Amino acid sequence: MRTIMPWALAPLAVLLLAGCGGGQTAHLAPTDKTLGATVQADSAHAALARVVTNAGLDVALAGVGPYTLFAPPDAALKVDFADAAMKAEDAALLRAHLAPGTLTRADISSAIDHAPGKSAQIRTLSGELLTFTRQGKDIIVTAPDGAHARLTGAESLVSNGALQPVDALLLNPDAAQG
Amino acid sequence: MKKTLCLSAALLLMLTATQGSLAQGRGNGNGNGKGGDNARDRGEDHGKRDQDSPGKGAGPKDDKGKKDRHDDPSERDRAEDRRDDRSGPVVIIRSDQPRGLIAGCPPGLAKRNNGCLPPGQERKLARARNYDGLWGRPATGAARTYTQRYDSGYIYRYDQQGGLMGYLPALGGLLSAGNLWPRQYSYNPAPRYQTDYYGLNQSYDYRYADGAIYGVNRNTSSIEQISALLTGQSPSVGQKMPAGYDAYNVPYAYRGQYADTPQSAYRYNDGAVYQLDPKTQLIQAIIKLLT
Repeated sequence: MRTIMPWALAPLAVLLLAGCGGGQTAHLAPTDKTLGATVQADSAHAALARVVTNAGLDVALAGVGPYTLFAPPDAALKVDFADAAMKAEDAALLRAHLAPGTLTRADISSAIDHAPGKSAQIRTLSGELLTFTRQGKDIIVTAPDGAHARLTGAESLVSNGALQPVDALLLNPDAAQG
Repeated sequence: MKKTLCLSAALLLMLTATQGSLAQGRGNGNGNGKGGDNARDRGEDHGKRDQDSPGKGAGPKDDKGKKDRHDDPSERDRAEDRRDDRSGPVVIIRSDQPRGLIAGCPPGLAKRNNGCLPPGQERKLARARNYDGLWGRPATGAARTYTQRYDSGYIYRYDQQGGLMGYLPALGGLLSAGNLWPRQYSYNPAPRYQTDYYGLNQSYDYRYADGAIYGVNRNTSSIEQISALLTGQSPSVGQKMPAGYDAYNVPYAYRGQYADTPQSAYRYNDGAVYQLDPKTQLIQAIIKLLT
């Protein structure tokens, strides 16, 4: 009798635990659109879409990836990054807002919760480290130059990654180099 | 409520584990052939790895306090490709020279006043607009030993005394679709694994440089597309994973197979999943993913 009871409970425990992971659960339902196509189709990200095209990164973002794009608001892009001559700036800006792999909000949240000092680091494709922390209910992203933003709105889980809107550029215009 | 439930579930499982032997893996990494585990024989049953939970992130992750964030250079290491077609660990790059920096000035520009100015022009390399940080920013807690500026397709690098160290063609600058590949800029053939992984099967000459794979016209050397973006990081088994992989980021299709357990964490980078020791961050295996 003694040996039966624990075994009977095990499957139950397993099932319960399955819901406990930091966003690693299998029941995510990404769309069948790529990151590139999703940005192009989203009227709220029209300026971002132009930046992607201008930078020549539309092909990569429609490819296998996966990538996670911390999508800055159009209002920030229209001011300084809309010029068609700014291809290199646009490419550099995008790389600073892109991370390898697929990061759901739950993944990020879990990373913060399990990191020492509740401060998780994620590497961008520009080689910089973004720091993620919690402030009340918000998740804050801080760039090495001091720029910070909140994860905002709703994430989009797409076929080749994820779109995580942020409410500001991860780039400080006043930061000096070196 | 969820936390209480999770905690109870964890305790329950621990209890049953101690009562009976729950040392077998439960549905993780059962080797459905999606990718080879390079540190082991292909045929090995992943279930033999001592997993005592489904590994859906159950329980707190081990303290990463030992991981020193400051010893990871912010500088990306873009090195020579050790073209390796064996099915060994994924190694893209090793290098002595960071980012393939080219000494001197680009063709057609004269070195003048410690910048590279077009002949006859007084144009100064502006400290530019407000977004200098785009071209290389100080990492947290580390001081850079150089600064960078962008001008007319190139990134110029200066040492701390303001001396010109060299230049790089910039992604989106010289390195744009429609431009010829800059003749002085060395590149590496894109590794076969990456061209396979990213599905790069057009008749381009695929080249890797500074974090991107470019599709180049074989006849004209014209850049046709920027095909993929990479971190360019390629640590080896036994090394510590670089900083910046705190969050689980495995692609959807592989999450069931490579879910974190107390013994192993999984992190995606450049077409491969890195299996790490959660305590030490040492890389246990590099698992190639093939689409």
